[in-house]
Amino acid sequence: MSIKGKAAIVAFGETPVDRLGRKPGERRITMPEYLSRAARLALEDAGLTKRDLDGQGLGAIYSTNYPQPFWPEEAAEILGISPGLLLGGGAGGASGVSLLAQAAAVINSGLVEIVLCVAAAAPFVDSYTGIHPGDTRDFEIPYGMMGPNSKIALVMRRHMHEYGTSLGHLAKIAVTSRLHASLNPSAYLRSPLTAEEYKNSRLIADPIRLLDCVMPANGGKAFIVASPERAKTLPKPPVFLLGFGERDNPVFGASSHSNALIMGVREAGETAFQMAGVTRKDIDFLELYDDYIIIVLMQIEDLGFCQKGDGKFFESTDFTYKGDLPIQTGGGMINCGQPSTAGGVGLLIESARQLRGKGGQRQVKNARTGLVTGLGGVAYGKNLGCTAVAILGRET
Amino acid sequence: MPEDQKESAKPLPQSNSLTQPFWDSATKKKLVIQRCKSCDSWVWCPRPSCSTCGGEQLEWTPVSGRGAVYSFTVIREVVGRGGRGFEKEIPYVVAWIDLEEGPRICSNVVGCSLDDVYIGMPVEVLFENVTAQITLPKFRPLQASV
Repeated sequence: MSIKGKAAIVAFGETPVDRLGRKPGERRITMPEYLSRAARLALEDAGLTKRDLDGQGLGAIYSTNYPQPFWPEEAAEILGISPGLLLGGGAGGASGVSLLAQAAAVINSGLVEIVLCVAAAAPFVDSYTGIHPGDTRDFEIPYGMMGPNSKIALVMRRHMHEYGTSLGHLAKIAVTSRLHASLNPSAYLRSPLTAEEYKNSRLIADPIRLLDCVMPANGGKAFIVASPERAKTLPKPPVFLLGFGERDNPVFGASSHSNALIMGVREAGETAFQMAGVTRKDIDFLELYDDYIIIVLMQIEDLGFCQKGDGKFFESTDFTYKGDLPIQTGGGMINCGQPSTAGGVGLLIESARQLRGKGGQRQVKNARTGLVTGLGGVAYGKNLGCTAVAILGRET
Repeated sequence: MPEDQKESAKPLPQSNSLTQPFWDSATKKKLVIQRCKSCDSWVWCPRPSCSTCGGEQLEWTPVSGRGAVYSFTVIREVVGRGGRGFEKEIPYVVAWIDLEEGPRICSNVVGCSLDDVYIGMPVEVLFENVTAQITLPKFRPLQASV
């Protein structure tokens, strides 16, 4: 049994992102406030009230800044709703895409009709907890690994070594993303970026530079999933889930030295394409989880849009919203900011916005089908530990 | 604060029932990795069972300590409060080392200048004593064998 076309994103909401709390004495907004605002905006978008959610599903994403074991229940308290089912997003930055499919599954089981999915984080207000996976704590941090930056630096250097990937290839992704951000009023970094500025930004962990990295931010995001029947009763055009795949703890080769240059989206993407029954040529745009520029490039390879190491593809393809293969049409998380695990939900929302035809100046013409990914966790000796791929469409 | 952490501002690994054989061996200047008795697969990081076949008979097995740099980074900046203990060491190299036996481990390359490190560089283990309980295996350029 497939859930293709049997659930839709019917509404979404996101707060503006900010970086308040970085400086001592600066005004601060708490995580529950971001959460509440995002949920309210999504409810308004759906023409629903909180009471419509009583007895329905609530999916709440755990964040790195607030790893509270009973978080979905606390989220219900903060929002003032009485759900009939709690889902917890535990796949880090992949949780938004993953929860979309979980919501679709529980809706199709008949348990609930609607699921509200929420995420918020205020990394500049809530201090980082310092709870790490055991492998990272015991076998990376004692050597001075500095979180994901240093890990992805290892991946990036090896990719450049093995495939001849150049700063020019990566700059193209960075510059295109920023171009789209300049056309997105809610992006955080909007001033134009040149390839030279990208290439000359300061080194953090060779070869990772400042402009390779996503920027932490405070913010909240929410979306509502419903059955196609229920969607008909709601005001906005539904965006249907056509295909989904997830691969966690992916291993390529021997488990003690998995190929660190292949990403789980290769498997997750294949599953999603099969479910949706579409080909790469049918995809009008990609919203790829972009914690790092090199990770965008690797996903384009591993999702099968080009061969591994095909530098020429990156030189010849126009990735802008008007181009051959539009990517990161809202500027991506790199330019919109990353409120911890809520960040990836922004890519899902931008996909839905494009498929509603509400992309404003950056609208992909006649967008009918889009692909969005979520990635989470940086596993020892590998790249991303959680990977999820969804294919969304205007029609079933 | 645990005794270990008072002695060093840098975060130290937790030695527990799963990882203790690794750290105890390191203290004795031996590098050991789990190996599955059922299917011979190497298992790294330490696990309660074999990631390949599921077997629970895992044996801590000495390895040569020789390998090659699979990839490396030069840490230029501390990120987050947890990393402040490393501030004085910057810049330094963290690398993925492919051991001759197969497993890939994360460690530092020391004993040479930053510019001398390259992908494929042959390296060998050395042991840096940090506390009574913890000795960190690190790597240096392979010395010409006598």
